[in-house]
Amino acid sequence: MTQMIKVLAVFVVLILYDLQRFIRKKEKGVVFVLYFLFMGVSLAVSMLLAAGVKLPSPARWIESTLRMIGVIK
Amino acid sequence: MGKVRISSIQLFMLLSGFLFGSTVILTPTSGAKNDAWMAILLGGAGGALLMWLYAKIAMLNPSKTLVDILRERMGKIVGSIVSVLYIWYFIHLASLVLRNFGEFICTTTLPETPMAVVIGLFAAVLVFVINSGIEVLGRLGELLVPVVPLVILIICLSIITAADFEALLPVMENGITPVLKAAFGLMTFPFGETVAFLMLFQYLNNQAKLKKVVIASAGALTLSGLVIFLRDVFVLGSELMSRATFVPHLTTLLIPGVNVEPLVDINLLISGGIKISVCIYAAAKALCQLAGIDDYTRLTGAIATFCVVLSVWIYENVIDMFNWAEKVWPFYSIPFQIIIPVLLLLLSLRKKPGTSQN
Repeated sequence: MTQMIKVLAVFVVLILYDLQRFIRKKEKGVVFVLYFLFMGVSLAVSMLLAAGVKLPSPARWIESTLRMIGVIK
Repeated sequence: MGKVRISSIQLFMLLSGFLFGSTVILTPTSGAKNDAWMAILLGGAGGALLMWLYAKIAMLNPSKTLVDILRERMGKIVGSIVSVLYIWYFIHLASLVLRNFGEFICTTTLPETPMAVVIGLFAAVLVFVINSGIEVLGRLGELLVPVVPLVILIICLSIITAADFEALLPVMENGITPVLKAAFGLMTFPFGETVAFLMLFQYLNNQAKLKKVVIASAGALTLSGLVIFLRDVFVLGSELMSRATFVPHLTTLLIPGVNVEPLVDINLLISGGIKISVCIYAAAKALCQLAGIDDYTRLTGAIATFCVVLSVWIYENVIDMFNWAEKVWPFYSIPFQIIIPVLLLLLSLRKKPGTSQN
């Protein structure tokens, strides 16, 4: 639980820092969409990892795909 | 904002720093054991050819980034899809180098510090560098990259008394296959990874020197890779080398009377930092071009944060990291480093530069 709170705190600081910059410079909507896409995925994965949930990593997905098409044995 | 330009020496330093990258702590040719010197020479030649290919693509498409070239040569839809794949590739590469850095520092220098903290702080510094622009990165490379061969030289001279020059024998004990496999591994890591520079080549102030610069940097890495390998094999022997996790670090521990371990950390900080910066810059720039955003610095923070999370998530441990880098990475890289660039070169040669298909 402490880990999750620490992760959340770090993300809140990062997002607030960037958000005030974006609002001040009146950024386009697409900047907000892409920013929150990356930060949202990062936050979700970090929270799950902090909670001890074992997520299959992209390295495993890539490995299974290459195995499936017979590139690696 | 004025037009961004970097000199040929700055590009040479950036390329050399990028190529040194994690190779200052990892040995991509370790599979060939004491025949790795042949793998380095073969891989170096193949790598130089790959880098020449990237330079040729850039010269056939002047003032264009990888995204522009892909969209122009492959069409808007296919080009945009392939660009997204490249963005993923650059992010993935940055995460791998961050993880290498984190594993090395947490294994050798800061064993009590959580890896996420080490990687996160390093990434935070790099975001400032990337946001300062490619000219600042170029000047930083010009200033810091010469330290890398200097450190290699210092370690080589410090350990020369412990060298056993018969460690290279017997030659080709296991045949040519391990040598060819290791040479291919070296071609994909680190030479082929310079495909990220297709986002940067356009900034070179004298495009006529591009080919010379890429070939010189490939030569510099081949030479220093050879020196590092000979130093390690003469001191440790091929058996111990194939079992060690971080070979150059182990070599420095054998220097009598003085602790030069931090020098390896410095090398990794410089070259790894340049490699990660170039990858994040390439990803941010490509994404902003695709999305029609003028300033790439808007997304560097978010992309760097994602890279940090991905680097912690991607491998379970250091053994998993080495296995994946040796068995999966070379094959996973083939489309990004060889197939698509060769296709781009053919398309660039077929159509006259500047001729849009739409």
